[in-house]
Amino acid sequence: MATRAFQRLPTAPAGRILALRLVAIALSLCIIAGVLALSGHSPGMLAELILRSTLGSRFGLEDLMLFMCPLLLTGAAVTVCGTIGLWNIGAEGQFYAGAIAATGVALGLHGPVLIMLPLMTIAGILGGMAWITVPTLARAYAGVNEIITTLLLNFIASLLTYYLTTGPWRDRISGAQVSTQRLSVSIPEMWGIVHWGFPVAIVIVVGLALILSRTRWGYEIRIGGANPEAARYAGIPVRLRIISVMLLSGGLAGLAGMFEVAGTVHRLQGGMANNFGYLGIVVAVLARGSCLNVIPAALLMALILDSGIVMQTQQLSASVILAITGLILFMIAIGDELAHYRPVATKPAKGKAS
Amino acid sequence: MNNPAAPSGMAPGTPPVLQLRGIGKFFPGVIANKDVDLDVWPGEIHALLGENGAGKSTLMNVVTGIYQPEEGETILDGYGQTFTSPQDAIRAGIGMVHQHFKLVQAFTVAENIHLGWDEAPRLASPAVMEARTREISERFGFPVDPAARVCDLSAGEQQRVEILRVLARRARLLIMDEPTAVLTPEETGELFRALRAFRAQGNAVIIISHKLDEVMEISDRVSVLRGGRKVGTFRTVDCNPSMLAATMVGRDIVRRDMRARPEGAAPIAPQPIMQLRHVSVRDDRGVDTLRDVSLDLHGGEILGIAGVAGNGQRELTHVLTGLMARTSGEIVLDGSVVDRADPALFAHAGVGHIPEDRLRSALAPSLSITTNMALREYTVPPIGRHGLYDAGAAGMLAHDIADLAQVRIPDFGMPIRNLSGGNQQRLVARREIRIASRVLVAAYPARGLDIGAIATMLGYLTDLRDQGVAVVFISEDLEDLLNVSDRIGVMFHGRMMDVIDAENADIATIGMLMGGREPTDRQPGGPQ
Repeated sequence: MATRAFQRLPTAPAGRILALRLVAIALSLCIIAGVLALSGHSPGMLAELILRSTLGSRFGLEDLMLFMCPLLLTGAAVTVCGTIGLWNIGAEGQFYAGAIAATGVALGLHGPVLIMLPLMTIAGILGGMAWITVPTLARAYAGVNEIITTLLLNFIASLLTYYLTTGPWRDRISGAQVSTQRLSVSIPEMWGIVHWGFPVAIVIVVGLALILSRTRWGYEIRIGGANPEAARYAGIPVRLRIISVMLLSGGLAGLAGMFEVAGTVHRLQGGMANNFGYLGIVVAVLARGSCLNVIPAALLMALILDSGIVMQTQQLSASVILAITGLILFMIAIGDELAHYRPVATKPAKGKAS
Repeated sequence: MNNPAAPSGMAPGTPPVLQLRGIGKFFPGVIANKDVDLDVWPGEIHALLGENGAGKSTLMNVVTGIYQPEEGETILDGYGQTFTSPQDAIRAGIGMVHQHFKLVQAFTVAENIHLGWDEAPRLASPAVMEARTREISERFGFPVDPAARVCDLSAGEQQRVEILRVLARRARLLIMDEPTAVLTPEETGELFRALRAFRAQGNAVIIISHKLDEVMEISDRVSVLRGGRKVGTFRTVDCNPSMLAATMVGRDIVRRDMRARPEGAAPIAPQPIMQLRHVSVRDDRGVDTLRDVSLDLHGGEILGIAGVAGNGQRELTHVLTGLMARTSGEIVLDGSVVDRADPALFAHAGVGHIPEDRLRSALAPSLSITTNMALREYTVPPIGRHGLYDAGAAGMLAHDIADLAQVRIPDFGMPIRNLSGGNQQRLVARREIRIASRVLVAAYPARGLDIGAIATMLGYLTDLRDQGVAVVFISEDLEDLLNVSDRIGVMFHGRMMDVIDAENADIATIGMLMGGREPTDRQPGGPQ
């Protein structure tokens, strides 16, 4: 018998990762089914219901796309930042800042949609960029850890949203709680309730992938992220690149906020970021640093979110859904790690066998 | 002569503190130590002298239990001992202060002293630990501020903390690895005074060094290592620096003259391409790493740089390639003064750079071979046009470089760290030679290569020379330096001790200069 040893490879082939992730998802689904069965639910019925109300119906697909739209952008924001080796944990805050800026434009100005929408878009992007400016400069010039600064600004942005939606911008027309009035301008719908922000987000993600792989700027970002010392050796202005990447990242998250306000919710609401910023980190981790992978990763995340809502309608508590989400991501992480290992058969056994 | 008697004035029958008998330590493909015998007596300062790679640090790592020897025995106070960890060694009274300090930067001095010390009180407030530290500091005569954070201390102060850490654990044998490398002359004086006081109490010190003057000044006896074996042990009073230098480097050097130019080779250009005028560099800690260096680089000439590693070669390389700003002095490139340290500017001016640590500073290990090969040419056509990056053209370039470097690559898309160190080195060398139209700065380009590959690498350098490029060749291998260089500069403590003509260079002279001694009989026509 050949004794099996395992060797850890520094890089895992993409195919193995994909295969092991599928195994991981299947395994976690089995575990979930087992637990649900033990607690008196019927896993088969639930699965059928979930499939029917997500991938299996037009309404479900529309919902999926609406979930995907912000996840694509926040996932891309974290991925782009990760390319130069930095973590933007503040996509949530930049999302709010973008939403606030876009709402401000919509509430303050009046004009034709063709002018208002571009203005709101620019405001959303600038809002996100403004929110990441201080962490960016602190990182580039003082070496302050961007993880802390971007994270802490999230809470400020969230509270600012609550303040605006209960204070100066509160809905005085219909009296909705923690919300502005319905905005007069919205992104036109493309397919059912899916607005044009969704295809734009896809185009942006694909465009980013091209920029990173096909431009001088992208090349410098990749070198700077893989080895800052080599970047300096090649004369790449690392500091300027850090600034541009972080601002881009903030702008992407801000745009996600603008899309959400103008396309999906149509109001600025407290808590409307719905963790999309944080889930962007999960999407980026699932995408393993590749912009194109953000698309399937966002789809998986949207599926999990959507299934969670379906399960909540079946008297499963919200914390069960969080646990399920955690389990799936945990199993995927194990799968990714296992993909690095390759069995090595010892030599004598090999010689006899062949 | 190999084992002079113990220092006089000792009670008869006193055993040595430390006896090594036939120590052998092997690493895959390398004999680090073989047949090393060493006696260290109480009340002596014993210097261990040798070039880089002579096996000094390995031997001391064996003594302190970091490595286990494959052969030989360690005898302490007459009893055989085996150490399986540095903790065992310190319990037996052997403490080592490493060249690169092993302190926790964010902790205070008192916390560092007490860290991992089994005599430290279980529950101790900062005040208690600081009081204990103050007492220890006064007892051993090494003044430190117990409440200061280590990261705020100078190199000399950090070293005192390291020594106190060891002394507090009742070390009777203190091993110091290159202790003066990071010290100012005044700090060196203080250290030596303290070491003499430590010796006066009947303790022993082993000091690893390559600085001849210091060895002469501080030690009672000297053991010289070469190629992992001990050449001999001498009473310091019987030694002189030139004899020690000759013993340290004196191996059979095969002089193979590669200075002969083929037909049609570029002659040495009369006008220098690059000049350093009185260039000095001071690092963040205020240590002068490069002191008043003046150099002329001529096209068609190889300038070798000799010296024990860590004497300013890294800084010289970085100044020559625009990676490090000088503190004072002038750099002249093609007749005009360069004010900014900008590596891109130097690269575009035709300065190639094979850095010492290629994986850390010249490559992005996780990115593809193609991406790495484009690092020097991604801004110029055909790869870089209008701000775009042409991955196809980069792939062609990578193929060309790999062909020239004779490295077979199954997949140019795989991360470059999957290649062996030797192959990475060849690829980096070829990439840099491509852009080195004026100057190539090669820092230890033969490190980690086998003999055949070293010959190829040296051939690259002479080819470039024949094309009229100015080559700076930094190496610790005197044989290689003497074979290819036209002139050899010797660095010591950040200074360019001298630049001598390689053809008539005398190994003993180079050895003296490497050890920081001005040779008494200067070579005619040597200094520029």
